[in-house]
Amino acid sequence: MAVSYRNGKNNSNPLLKFWQERRGDILPPLVGVLLFLAVWQLIVAIGLIRLPGPYQIWEDQRARNLILYPFYDRGGLDKGLALQTFASLTRVAMGYGLAAVVGIALGILVGLQPLANKMLDPIFQFLRMVAPLAWVPIALVALQQNQPAAIFVIFITSVWPILINTAEGVRQIPQDYINVRRVLRLSTRRFFTKILFPSALPYIFTGLRIAIGLAWLAIIAAEIVMSGIVGIGFFIWDAYQQNYVSEIIVAVFYIGSVGLLLDRGMALLQRWIVPEK
Amino acid sequence: MSSFVVVEQAGKTFPLAGGKEYIALKGIDLEIAKGEYISLIGHSGCGKSTLLNMIAGLDTTTEGVVTLEGQYIRKPGPEKMVVFQNYSLLPWLTVHDNVALAVDEVLGKLPPKEREEVIKHYIHMVGLDHALDKLPTQLSGGMKQRVAIARALAVRPKLLLLDEPFGALDALTRGNLQEKLIAICEETQTTAVMVTHDVDEAVFMSDRIVMLTNGPASNIGGILTVDIPRPRHRLEVIKHPSYYSLRSEILYFLNQQKRVKKLRARKVAVVPRHGLEKVNLELGFVPLTACAPLAIAQEKGFFQKHGLDEVNLVRETSWRGIADGLQYGYLDGAQMPSGMPMWLTLGGLGKNLSTVTALTMTRNGNAITLSRKLYDSGVYSLSDFARYLKETPEKHRMGVVHPASMHNLLLRYWLASGGIDPDRDVELKIIPPAQMVVDLKAGSIDGFCVGEPWNFRAASEGAGFTIATDREIWDGHPGKVLGVREDWAIAYPNTHIALVKAILEACVYCADPNHAQEVAELIARKEFVGTKREYIQLGSSDLNACNLETPMREYAHHLFYGTNINRPSRTEHLWQAAQMARWGDVPFPRNWVEVAERVCQVGVFSTAAREIGLSEITYGKGAIHLFDGATFSADNPIEYLQNLQIERNFTLAEIPLAVR
Repeated sequence: MAVSYRNGKNNSNPLLKFWQERRGDILPPLVGVLLFLAVWQLIVAIGLIRLPGPYQIWEDQRARNLILYPFYDRGGLDKGLALQTFASLTRVAMGYGLAAVVGIALGILVGLQPLANKMLDPIFQFLRMVAPLAWVPIALVALQQNQPAAIFVIFITSVWPILINTAEGVRQIPQDYINVRRVLRLSTRRFFTKILFPSALPYIFTGLRIAIGLAWLAIIAAEIVMSGIVGIGFFIWDAYQQNYVSEIIVAVFYIGSVGLLLDRGMALLQRWIVPEK
Repeated sequence: MSSFVVVEQAGKTFPLAGGKEYIALKGIDLEIAKGEYISLIGHSGCGKSTLLNMIAGLDTTTEGVVTLEGQYIRKPGPEKMVVFQNYSLLPWLTVHDNVALAVDEVLGKLPPKEREEVIKHYIHMVGLDHALDKLPTQLSGGMKQRVAIARALAVRPKLLLLDEPFGALDALTRGNLQEKLIAICEETQTTAVMVTHDVDEAVFMSDRIVMLTNGPASNIGGILTVDIPRPRHRLEVIKHPSYYSLRSEILYFLNQQKRVKKLRARKVAVVPRHGLEKVNLELGFVPLTACAPLAIAQEKGFFQKHGLDEVNLVRETSWRGIADGLQYGYLDGAQMPSGMPMWLTLGGLGKNLSTVTALTMTRNGNAITLSRKLYDSGVYSLSDFARYLKETPEKHRMGVVHPASMHNLLLRYWLASGGIDPDRDVELKIIPPAQMVVDLKAGSIDGFCVGEPWNFRAASEGAGFTIATDREIWDGHPGKVLGVREDWAIAYPNTHIALVKAILEACVYCADPNHAQEVAELIARKEFVGTKREYIQLGSSDLNACNLETPMREYAHHLFYGTNINRPSRTEHLWQAAQMARWGDVPFPRNWVEVAERVCQVGVFSTAAREIGLSEITYGKGAIHLFDGATFSADNPIEYLQNLQIERNFTLAEIPLAVR
């Protein structure tokens, strides 16, 4: 007669089990954040910097409202931070999407055609060095409107890493695969879908991941300069004008979080599409 | 032979930094017939892959043309499908999809269902049905290469090109895959060109093996035809009589190339000293009793005595090594079969390499040995042998050491005088001396003519018996001579005289019966002949030495020194030229008086002999008398040739002479 035993651990609470397994991953960052807040509070308390500490921010009525009600909308520019962030993200999505399309296309061209590379490389290297903020006045003059100008700034900032990495990825296609193409006389369509894209994909994703960070940096810079639009960049600028320092800090927290999430999301996507060998 | 692929005077030059250029390949001529399997073999960096890529169209020629069915090859295409060394499978596609990529592109006109059948068929052919949906990363090296082969064959190429296809595989996998590929190629009648550095692989798989010389400016050093019948199976192939000779031929070639490369890298400085133009000499010899004068000159200090301080004796295993050493210039001089200076001069290597001799080092010392099987069948004489050949229809092979050696000429002469055609009634094979007894024991030859100690050894070991010694055919025939290139002799005249003096003194030493014991012990050593002391017989008085049961033949005597022995003889060299022309090996020189004058450097010999006080040794200039009663005089060799019974059609040619 057989008696089946159950492992004792299997019986316990799944939440507890999760905690037991991932404790090492969760605890240190949590402690780190708490330590950071404590040091900040301390520095403010001894008067080393003139910013409000974490406690003062929570005490501040306006700031607390921003934290508690991210989705309020009183019309015009007076919106919750989540909505402000969402507006900025929409701009990023448009500029970044355009940059991805143009960057990958141009990158393939430059990677495949040494002549095109020779012609365009100096121009790319020159434009790449222009800071995002320097593009703002040019964009405003050229496009006359805030919205397209903002999208353009994001585009022009994030297109370079995509373009350069794609070109490199195309150049790095192993000669063996190129020989397969030549020997089989593969059609361009098959070459792109079966060889070029799969082979260059890791490089393209590296470019995309660098670019998303840059795009997010650029949108804040661009919105600060462009008055009168909904967006987290202008929200900061507006708060500064009215000396709501606590509001700025809450907004900065949003910016940082979104940046982090974007990068992690991109990394996840990369791991999903380009499995590591 | 209908030419399917033609490579004509093809060359490839790569530009280097600084405006220079590197000539990788030069003057490649190759014709490949439909259905042939060709291997390209050579050392790393010899340009074999470049040649393959030129045929594939992946690389362009900078000179000459490559055609496939009369069409210029300018770019790659699926009709010339390539199997790459590192498989070149796309890692993101499954086995099926990798093959499908090729099939869909190339056979796109077929309906999808048929294409699917083709894909499945070829994957099945390489035995990978179970791995259809696996990614290449999940496969072993051998399996990956099988996929690559399936992909290549599935597009039904006219020509299959393989770049070291099994190079990265372990030995066991490689063997299996070779058999598989060869079976597929035989079945589908595919024409294939394969780059390899594996000698056994080349012999096993190919119809012809193209051997490439080392770069820069590599070209084809030789093409071997593999006469092993198909279908081939590994175990049967290694038993085929040609297998080991092909194998050793390739190894010899590769080894030779290595030495040429070393020589090029060395940049030997010519060391002049003591009023001699060059005292650092590389002298070649072949392990035979007849190398005694060279061994003695080295060991007894005769070279140093005459100012040649840095003489190095180079042990070659075959006469071919000697000829190549002279040809490529890594030997200054060498012990040679007496016919070789004339043979080289008349174009035995395919070009006229003017070679001279000023000293005959030995005479006699050769014999003809037949295998024990023939003795047991009652073959005791030449006429018995002729009768035996008529009665036994199978092919009989006999070994000689070199086309230009006295062994070949004497054996042919002996056979022909007995009414046996040496080319039609038997087959003469070139085998290195030291390998004769082994081949005789193995039964791959029925007899041989070679210098001592190998006849004696065959008899001692009961493998064969001496049916005729050279004393019966031509007593006192020239055996080995000292040969140097004519341009060498012109460049270093005093060195040449000193060399002749040193070796001549060594000959005197060897001829002294009091030294026989010492000489025999010396040359039995490993660095010279490398055999048991008992096998070395010099001027043996034991007349019973060579037989199986009862005394049958007199033993062959080496003659090292004496009247009529050391001075080079024009008549003898002309006799040898006539014999070589008789068998169609080289043309007979129309300007034979001048050629004989050149090849025999009597003046050098006389000077050397006089300077060491041996001026009394002379040479009788009479005609040559052979055992069959025929005489040969130097007055009219062409008439002599015309009156011979058994001969190939000889040709006459004007031999260019070097300008002094």
